[in-house]
This record gives sequence, structure tokens and C-alpha cells, in this order.
Amino acid sequence: METDVDLDACAREPIRIPGGIQPHGALMVVDPDRLDMLQASENLQDFTGLANTPGARLADTALAPLAADLAAWTGGDEPSFLRTLQIGDLTFQVTAHRARQGLIVEFEDPPASEDETLEVLYPRLRRFVDRLESAGDVKTVAELTVRQMRALTGFNRVMLYSFDAEGAGTVLAEDRDEALPSYLDLRFPASDIPPQARELYRLNRLRLIPNASYVPSPMVPPMSPVDGQPLDMSFAALRSVSPIHLEYMRNMGTLSSMSVSILVDGALWGLISLHHAQPKRLNAQVRTACDFLGQIVSLQIGARERAARGARRIALKQKESELLASLSQEAAFQEGLVANGETWLGLVDADGAALVSEEHLITFGSTPSHPELTELALWLGRREVGEVFATDSLAEHWPQSEAFAADASGLLAISISQIHPSYIMWFRQEVVRTVNWAGAPTKPMTNQERLTPRQSFALWKERVRQRSLPWTDVEIDSARDFRNAVVNFVLRRAEERAALTEQLRRTNQELESFSYSISHDLRAPFRHVVGYSELLRDRLEDIDDKSKHYLDSISEAALSAGRLVDDLLNFSQLGRTSLSPARIDMKKLVAEVRRSTEQDTLERQMEWKVGDLPPAYGDPAMIRQVMFNLLDNAVKYTKGRTPALIEVEGREDADRTTYTIRDNGVGFDMKYAGKLFGVFQRLHRAEDFEGTGIGLALVKRIVDRHNGVVSLDSELNKGTVVTFSLPKSVPQSQGHG
Amino acid sequence: MANLAPILLVEDNPRDLELTLAALSKCQLANEIVIARDGAEALDYLYQRGPHADRAEGDPAVVLLDLKLPKVDGLEVLETVKTDAARRQIPVVMLTSSREERDLVKSYELGVNAFVIKPVDFNAFFEAIQDLGMFWAILNEPPPRGANRA
Repeated sequence: METDVDLDACAREPIRIPGGIQPHGALMVVDPDRLDMLQASENLQDFTGLANTPGARLADTALAPLAADLAAWTGGDEPSFLRTLQIGDLTFQVTAHRARQGLIVEFEDPPASEDETLEVLYPRLRRFVDRLESAGDVKTVAELTVRQMRALTGFNRVMLYSFDAEGAGTVLAEDRDEALPSYLDLRFPASDIPPQARELYRLNRLRLIPNASYVPSPMVPPMSPVDGQPLDMSFAALRSVSPIHLEYMRNMGTLSSMSVSILVDGALWGLISLHHAQPKRLNAQVRTACDFLGQIVSLQIGARERAARGARRIALKQKESELLASLSQEAAFQEGLVANGETWLGLVDADGAALVSEEHLITFGSTPSHPELTELALWLGRREVGEVFATDSLAEHWPQSEAFAADASGLLAISISQIHPSYIMWFRQEVVRTVNWAGAPTKPMTNQERLTPRQSFALWKERVRQRSLPWTDVEIDSARDFRNAVVNFVLRRAEERAALTEQLRRTNQELESFSYSISHDLRAPFRHVVGYSELLRDRLEDIDDKSKHYLDSISEAALSAGRLVDDLLNFSQLGRTSLSPARIDMKKLVAEVRRSTEQDTLERQMEWKVGDLPPAYGDPAMIRQVMFNLLDNAVKYTKGRTPALIEVEGREDADRTTYTIRDNGVGFDMKYAGKLFGVFQRLHRAEDFEGTGIGLALVKRIVDRHNGVVSLDSELNKGTVVTFSLPKSVPQSQGHG
Repeated sequence: MANLAPILLVEDNPRDLELTLAALSKCQLANEIVIARDGAEALDYLYQRGPHADRAEGDPAVVLLDLKLPKVDGLEVLETVKTDAARRQIPVVMLTSSREERDLVKSYELGVNAFVIKPVDFNAFFEAIQDLGMFWAILNEPPPRGANRA
């Protein structure tokens, strides 16, 4: 962790008050009113031949002409000051700017050739600006810029890099010769450029280091006579830079560098960084041209970014409309998501997407596993993340997600239900997997390589572990819009379902009143038919057999129709009637039911074997109906057996009681067993065994309502065994409606 | 037997009426049978008003009341009688085609004395009517006349 210590130290460097300057020029601080010398760099005399005499009035020295110019300038509103000054036989370029502790006057060598005068530079800048106008995107602007910068300055390598929201940098464009290696696509962490350096880049747009091996020239006196503080050189071109930076430069094999800030909307967006293997100086004109160029580029990039955001917004909106259009054609929007998977991903430019709800788990692209997704949805629910949740490092919020950080370091989730933890999620892969820097050699690093681009890249990789590319505002907005649409969609479906439920309820109500009418009106005519034919029979004396048969048939037909209506109503009522469970004495019940069948079996030889019958728990009237139907069947289907044998017994277990009714009747083929519990299913001809075919359906329905089980076993001509069991506790279920 | 109170039969369906009368006549009851064809008429009789304003004094021995009736239905008649302190001792037997549980529950809530679902089988129907007629018209001793009258 030695590197961290160094970088921390770097972050504390007092870079605005280095106490000295780079010695390729000389610096002097002058009182703005009296125009006398306050401080000067130690090399002033060496560089200019002027003695460093603090307190001396400039007007009294060889700088008298300069003093006059400065006096004129300070009285005006011109922001910058640039003059060519002759001192003896030496020519200097002199710049000056106002600072807290006085006017800072800097002396540098004049331009080396005519090429570098503003008159020559201006047309080139003009042409560049024209080309820039037609450049499509930021990347192209960056490429044009680095080429132009290199042409302008002659540096070996010019790079343009941008910072992300966290401050980490990416080299977007590069122009170079063979003297220096390529860093195109290099990523480096925010810590490479400490915050106070960033702030200085923002304030002072241009910085030049002609020779990284320089020995700084200290200020004399070291403290400003104005306030006793070291000189603030924030805006001084000659400001000495951090030794750590110089080490970094030397490690990179560059002895000279310059940087021009790119500011968008007042924030440091990126830097144009120029390097030269050998020491290299640039005069003030070229620097001004570079600064101007940097400002042009800043404006162009700002405009491009705004335009790109707008275009992206439109593109995402279009994808959203596209997706919604196809979703609305699906019965459930969930199905539409997978069918339009690419668009689903494209909505926020994700690598994978999932929908997790109570009923669905749908995925597309690369996502965590299903169990992981379920966990994730629960976690989101617990965290109450609200409508939209976006992170480029899920592991930072939820360490458990490290397990699937490769697929899902980035998560953008929208909640689609108020009640359940239901989410649509988008995932982005860990960014390290998607980025490679061609310049990173594969051999392991050595300790000597601290503060190198390789080390930066490695450190950056470390910093972006379990981190995805961040979700942009535009993408998050897109997800939010999509959420609103989906929620509306879901709501509409819910409303439709509610309407359907209401419709069902009405239909059910109609059915109920329908069966109510039937129970009144359909039974009456049958009753009348039976009644009148009986009355007729009474009036006819000496009725012949044929007439008697006709009358009997009329009565029987009407009777069985009436019974059918009764059975059907009974059956339909079962679903609606609520259970009133109670303890039922099954011994008594079976005895009663048995007695009620005796009327019809007077002429038959019946053998009843009634075993132990534990009490049941259920609705007494319904269970009575079950027992009646089953015993009635046993009696009915043993017709013709001599003797007819009917066995009834029960058994009690921990949670249920089971009853068995066994007969030696006609039985049936077990292949029809499944049909027997249906309504109107008969296995015998009506004339052989009477009945409406509802008895067993009723039994099944009653036992079902008690959460019990009923089963049949039979063998043709041997007999039938019916077993039903009832739980000891019956839920207080309401009618099925 | 002349002082036997009449049976009030409230029935709108002419066939049911004919069959019920046939059944009652088979019981050979001496009671007079008064017929009302809807709920309103039944109440007129019970309250001695309208066409029945001049009838002889006295409550019927029993009211055989069909559930579904025109104008005022059986349950309303039942409710009127059973919430009237002066008349709630009159036995009311609900005679109905309905197997609906809610009708039955409602009738008992209102204080019906018996609830008979008219069986389809005529013999059963006959027996039911006979039993009812015997029980309510003859065996059941009504409370002393005017006992509850205010």
C-alpha cells in the first residue's frame, strides 16, 4: 500500500504555493500601485541580468519602459498583458497577471521563428475551427483536436482524455510519432490527478513543463511582504510543479509536457495532454493559440454532448415506444419482453434484463441465476428502493451480490408493483471485462514501476472491480418512463380483471336467481302432472291394465323429472351453502340412514355388518347426504343378490376419520371409475337401476368441500368399496359462490 | 264441530289450489276452507277489511301460505302476522315449491310454525297436507281466543 501513501501525499501537495518556479523563465512580483519590486525568483539576475532588489521601483531600473506599460495596463480593463521587451541586447516575452499578492510578471524567451507568431497561427486555427464544425461526434472532435495540437506544437504525442463522473480518465484520442508509446484507450483512476490539481486545471487552463529535470528556482524572499505568506502562483505560467508529477513524467519517458483543460459547463470535462521525449519550450503566442484552441474544443464538445444526449433521449424514447407497442399486443406484457429482448436491453443499453414478480421470472441476455434474482428482488423490496434504483456497483450496496458481479455489477431496477417485490431489472457486466488497454504489457509489474501508466491502469482496474459503466441520466430517465408505461399497463390489466370479476359475480347472481326460479317454477308442473294423474286414477273405477300402465308411466315420468330437478338444485346449492361443521355421531347417522332404506328392502334378504364408527367432524346435513347416497347406492346395486351384503366401518387416525362402505353388488369396470364422480354419469341402464346420476357427484362435491378424499374400488359382478375420509378440522370455508 | 275455526289457504296457482283442496277434502276436515289468491287478500281476511270486512269474528285455525304470491308475497304476509302482537299466535305453515335455504332461514327467522316443501310425489303431498290439516286444524289447541289482544 506504499502507493496509496504516495498518492495521499500527492493529494496534500501545496501545488498553488510551490515556493519556486521552473527556471526556463524568471518571475517577479510587483506592487500594483507603486510598481516596486516585492519578490523575485532567484534566477532573475541570471535570466534577465537585472538584480533582484526587493523594494526597488521599476521606474528606477532598466525596466522603466515596462513600468510605464504596466501602469497603463493596470489602469485599463485588458485581462492579459503580453509584451516583447528589450533589455540590453536580450529580448524577452513578458506576461503579467493580477494576483492576490501583487502583479506577477513573468519573463520568457521570445518566439524562435516567424512561424510561431499569432499572424501565422491565426489562419491555421480558422481552418481547424471550420473542420471542427463538421465533425459529427465527440470522438471525431477529439481526433481532429489532437492532430491539430500536434501540428501546432510539434510535441511527440498529443492525447485527449475525458473524465467520468467519478473522475477516472479515459484516453479518447491520440496523435503521435514513434518517439513515445501509445496510450490510446488507457484508463486511469481519479487518484492520478488529485482534487487540488483538478481545481487548478479548472482555474488555469494551460500548464507547461518544458523540462521535467529542472531544478526549481526559489522565490526571494520566500514569503510575500504583503501578507507574510508564500506566493500563490495559481495562474503563473512558470509555477513549479509537484515532484511526484515530475517523477511520473520521467517514468513515462517524457521530459516535456503541456496540458490544456477542456471545460464544459464550468466543470473539468477532460484534458488535452501533450508530451515530448526531450525538453521542449513553447512561446507565449503558441501557448495562447493552444489555449484558444482548447476553448473552441470545449465549446464544441459541450455542444456535441448536449446534442448526443438529446439524440440518445430520442433514440431511447423510440425504442420504448417500439417495445410498448409490441407489449400491448400481448395478453401479458411479460411475454412481450422476451419476444423483444434486444429492444428490452436497448432501452438502457444493458447486457441482461430480468423481470421478477410473484408469478414470473423472465430473463434475457446475461443475468444472475434465477435463485439469485429472486433474492435480489427480495433485497430490493426490503431496502424500499422506491420506483427506480440505479447503481454501477451493486456489491457496494449488497456484498452478497459479489458472487455474480461479473454479470451484474451494474443494476438498474424499476418497481412495477406497490404490493409485491416485483421488479424489471437491467444488468451491466463488470466493466473490467469489457475494457482492454492495448498498451498494457502482460508481464508482471515490478516495484520500480510505481507511478507509471501501467500502474495507473492496474490501479484503475482495481478501482473498477465489481463496477459497471455508470447509467447515464438519459438511461435512468428512459427506465423511469418505461416504468410508468408498464405500471399503467399492469393497472389497466388489473382493472380489466376487476371488471371481469364483477361480470362473473353478476353472472353468478343471475345463475342463482335462475336456479331459484327453477326450484319454484319447474317443480310445480311435475307436481301437477303427478297430482292430476293420481286424482284421475281415483275417479276411474274398474280401470283396465293398459290404462293403469299409462297412468303409472305418466306418474313415474313426472316423478323422476321432479327428482332430477331436486337433485340438480341440491347439487348447485352445495357450492353456495356455507358449512356449519359439528361433531357427528356416525353410529346414529348410519342407523338412521339404514332405517330409511328399509322401506324399499322389505322383500329382500339384507345382511348388514356395521363395524366401529368413530365420530366425524363436518356439516351434519351434508355428511348425512353423503352417507345416504352411498348406502342408497349399496342397497340399489345389490338388487338381486341373496343375501345382499353391506358392510360399513370406520377408522380414526391422528388427523382424519375414514369410512368404508362395501357391498357385494353388481360393481363396475374400473376403467370407468374416473367418470363416476361426474354429474349425470351412469354406468347402468335406467331400467336396471333407477337414479338421476347425480348421487356420487354430490358425494364428491361434499367431501371436497370438507377437504376430504373419496375413492372407489370395484370389480364387475363382485361388488364395490367406497372409502371417504374427512379431516378432523374443517376450514370454515365460505360458499364457492 | 260448527265452532271449528276455518283454514286460510293462500295460493295463487290454480292447479296447486285444486290439488291442495283435493288433498284437504280427502282428510275430511270439518273446518271451513277460506281461499285467498294473493298476499293482499290474505291480509284483508286476517285484518277483516275490504271484501272481508263483514266476515265472522275469529282467527283461522291455521294459515297455509304459499311463498311466492302476487302483490304481497308470502314472506311479507308472514312478517306482518308475526310482528303483530295481536295475531302472532295464528299458526302459519309455509307451503312452497322452493328448496332454497335462504327462504327457509328467512321463514324461521320470521317465526313460521312449519315449513313444508311441496313434494312432487302426490301421495307424499297428500300425506303432508293431511298431517298439517290434522295437526293444526284439529289437534293443535289454539290459545284462548283474544288472549293476546290488547
